[in-house]
Amino acid sequence: MNAAPAVDMKQVGAVLARFEKGERSHLVHLLQDLQSEIHYLPGEAIRAAAEYLDVPLNSAFSVATFYKAFSLVPRGETIVKVCLGTSCHIRGAPVVVEDLRIGLGVGPGETTPDMKYTVEVVNCVGACALAPVVIANTRYIADVKPGTIVKIIEEG
Amino acid sequence: MYIYIDGKKISAKDGESILEVANRNEIYIPTLCHHEALDDVGACRVCMVEITHKDWGGWRNLVTACLYPVEEGLVISTSSEAVRRSRGTTLDLLMARCPTSDVIRWMAEENGEISVRYEQIDDGSKCIMCSLCVRACERMGCNAIGTVGRGHDKKIAPPFFENPENCIGCGACAAICPTGHIEVNDTRTTREIWDKKFNFVACEGCGEPVLTEEYRDYAIANRDLPADYYTTCSACKKKKLASHFDKVGS
Amino acid sequence: MGIANRKELEARRKALHKANENVKTHVRVCSGTGCAALGAFEVYDALVKESKKAGLPVQVELEPCGKEKDPLFVSLTGCQGFCQIGPLVHILPDDILYTGVKVSAVKDIVEKTLAGGQVVEKLLYKNPEDKKRLKGRADIPFYKGQELVALEGCGSVAADSLDSYVASGGFSSLAKALKMDPDQVISEVEKSGLRGRGGGGFPTGRKWRSCVSAEGDERFVICNGDEGDPGAFMDCCIMEGDPYRVIEGMIICAHAVGSSTGFIYVRHEYPRAVERLSLAVKTCEENGLLGKKILGSDLDFDISVARGGGAFVCGESTALMRSIEGSVGEPRAKYVRSVQRGFRDKPTVLNNVETFACVPSIINEGSDWFTSRGTEKSPGTKAFCLVGKVVNTGLIEVPMGTSLRDVVFGMGGGIIDGRPFKAVQTGGPSGGCLGEDHLDLPVDFDALAKAGSMMGSGGMIVMDDRTCMVDVAKYFLKFLMEESCGKCVPCREGVYQLHAMLDKLSRGEGEPQDLEKIQRLGKEIQVSSLCGLGKSAPNPVLSTLKNFREEYEAHVNDKRCPAGVCRDITTFTIDPDKCTGCLVCKKACPPDAISGEKKQVHIIDQDKCTQCGACRLVCKFDAVVTN
Repeated sequence: MNAAPAVDMKQVGAVLARFEKGERSHLVHLLQDLQSEIHYLPGEAIRAAAEYLDVPLNSAFSVATFYKAFSLVPRGETIVKVCLGTSCHIRGAPVVVEDLRIGLGVGPGETTPDMKYTVEVVNCVGACALAPVVIANTRYIADVKPGTIVKIIEEG
Repeated sequence: MYIYIDGKKISAKDGESILEVANRNEIYIPTLCHHEALDDVGACRVCMVEITHKDWGGWRNLVTACLYPVEEGLVISTSSEAVRRSRGTTLDLLMARCPTSDVIRWMAEENGEISVRYEQIDDGSKCIMCSLCVRACERMGCNAIGTVGRGHDKKIAPPFFENPENCIGCGACAAICPTGHIEVNDTRTTREIWDKKFNFVACEGCGEPVLTEEYRDYAIANRDLPADYYTTCSACKKKKLASHFDKVGS
Repeated sequence: MGIANRKELEARRKALHKANENVKTHVRVCSGTGCAALGAFEVYDALVKESKKAGLPVQVELEPCGKEKDPLFVSLTGCQGFCQIGPLVHILPDDILYTGVKVSAVKDIVEKTLAGGQVVEKLLYKNPEDKKRLKGRADIPFYKGQELVALEGCGSVAADSLDSYVASGGFSSLAKALKMDPDQVISEVEKSGLRGRGGGGFPTGRKWRSCVSAEGDERFVICNGDEGDPGAFMDCCIMEGDPYRVIEGMIICAHAVGSSTGFIYVRHEYPRAVERLSLAVKTCEENGLLGKKILGSDLDFDISVARGGGAFVCGESTALMRSIEGSVGEPRAKYVRSVQRGFRDKPTVLNNVETFACVPSIINEGSDWFTSRGTEKSPGTKAFCLVGKVVNTGLIEVPMGTSLRDVVFGMGGGIIDGRPFKAVQTGGPSGGCLGEDHLDLPVDFDALAKAGSMMGSGGMIVMDDRTCMVDVAKYFLKFLMEESCGKCVPCREGVYQLHAMLDKLSRGEGEPQDLEKIQRLGKEIQVSSLCGLGKSAPNPVLSTLKNFREEYEAHVNDKRCPAGVCRDITTFTIDPDKCTGCLVCKKACPPDAISGEKKQVHIIDQDKCTQCGACRLVCKFDAVVTN
């Protein structure tokens, strides 16, 4: 387990300031912005968001754990998302997951010890025609052939 | 308006649920996630009843009695074949999830023969995710616990699984839990719940535990009753009152 | 520059129309998710740059008083459909469709086609049947039989340009609707027979009318862009490629039902859709098409774009509304419908993206025009995503009633590598799988439902003999198990148990009575669950059990997976007669279980093999066989 880096509360405050104080309906949106800024949702950030929007902490924690977009633990520099949509599934996505497990040494939801890669599986990214698809951060890798994905990702 | 439950014509008011009308008329419909003091959510699916109406051309539907609003002429069956099947399946599924719960077993036996067995999940948990505890805690105004995650892994826990800051040890969650899943360990002077320890306020009269210190402080701050109201147990309050009346009488 | 009223709108359109007419050549670069993934943005940049370098009169925006004579208009459009062979560059008026365009090919396109007026043969689509090159969309089988209504602007208008939308006739429908009485608008939608494109097929007009008759001092219009069905991306394409059409549809609805506040809920997995819609909303606000007194009428209407948090269940209307309110997306019972008590307990119309995208055409062309296509009970057209083991994958729109055969073997061009067809999955996790005997089924809401599947949002996933139906059913159950909100017992516990039973089957541990048990539990989950997700969760397993029972029986009785997918009961071996010793499988094998030298028969080490099937996937000679 890696020690979580200290959270920059100034950074958190800057994100909060973009939203109307006390407006509970912004919770999902606000947590999303915090996550894209910090790359995960540290406890302090969830607490700050709950306080700012006047949402009870139990609800904020429920929301943060309900939606798949949120991660409560730090993630790697590159987030490798393997699409497991139906089309990808039947066109070989399970093999891609296998390749990553062997090549990077981590399975879905796990991060390499050097914090370089986090492997995630997602349900359909809307590029079904190019199945199977992998997204490394914002880069789409289409029609991934068996045995190729680790090299493609490591070469950047 | 009038509705029909199991063939009986019963008067009902607009805005009532089927369950409310049934309860008022002492017609038994089993429930697990219902409590009259809390809003219904329709989560446990045990109060399923079958409804139809003379104008529906024979169409019937299974609905939860706790949420379905009554309407004029509604015909309700609380134990038709379809109701028993649905309820039986739900209880079977719960028995697989919480094999150690007596309440579920008893309710399943009450419903009829248990015919199908599912893969048991033996993690010792009796939680059926009815969320009564969460709703009770929210109603208390404490919001100390909530649902965590989703799907089959959903749990009830305090935020971050840490001992809950807002918990005042009132014990409402444990009291309302239908399966006795929530553990509360009381001694004469202390209470432990959600891994948090509390000290009891001792009754000024008899020394019996009355309520936790945190609960007392919370009640003083949020209710319009004098502070000394919370330092006497209900038995002593009664005694005090009785002796007061005795004096007045003599 | 704002558009204060209808007159200004018409003036703007006229000016833009003229500008559009002056354009001599349109170069449309597809920037749909597929093409973008394959490098469409780089191709676009290169096209602009190279054309300028060649001294061509390039325009990247419609300029009503442009300086250039006979300009060349280079634009980024939404999805042009044929994702399989992207990036696509479509050149008009000559209808030349260049496929698989790489940056390195741009120079050729500029020099030979745009400057020289010649066609670059090698960039044209090659028909796999006779290896002939086909020039344009008019010749390519994938586009034949399609009819675009919801996708009309997707792939033709410049996706981020209000001007381009207005030039193509955009907002004229809104102008017309605002002249009509709200009741008239609703009647027109009712008469069109438009049914919700999100899956259920509820009549849109009826929904609007019940919202109007519901009591409430405030009404909401919500567009559901939480397209969660895996294998479906129609709404994504519309939101990315023609965002103004969706907004126009919503404003018309707001006028019809009397709403002043709208939301578009987009799933966060579609970052470009969020970006383009947000931009489109902002542009509309700046131009007076959203906000106060729209087009000089009394209508005030604002739209906010809300991002989903990654939860399939939020496609369910009540969960979606809870999510916009900032809560956990748990559905509530719909005994009181959301048109009466929806968002913030007020009457709410919720339609999906494609439904709103159909509205402008219906108002403009009239309901008769709409009902003249499609079937009696399902008028109009429907967008589908044709994906899976089919030769031509992509986005299509066809009149309702088109047969599955026409779609799969006509537009789709049949099965990859000429393998046998097994099934089409429609309706996503709520739908089912239809086999060979359903191929001539006319696709509409009722026919699909009757056959045990459903329309869903429009994903069509084609499966061949190497797709295992037990595995597909298990796949959907796993999906739903993870996506269930966990609130009600039949869905949370029942789907878990169904998955456990199918898992047992796929491991070869199934018993004959299990099939009965699966069927019974499935039926009870359907009637007992709280929301649509739970009620439809057993559909994939029940439909495959009905239509492909013998495959289930093979798993139970013979402990064998005929498709060679279920790992625990499948062994992979190499047929020495077919193996050419090409090394391809050896390289692809994740656990290095294959040995053999070049041009010598390869052998799979059964102790190392994890049965992942990578070798079979890559073998061109059909040499990898299963038991």
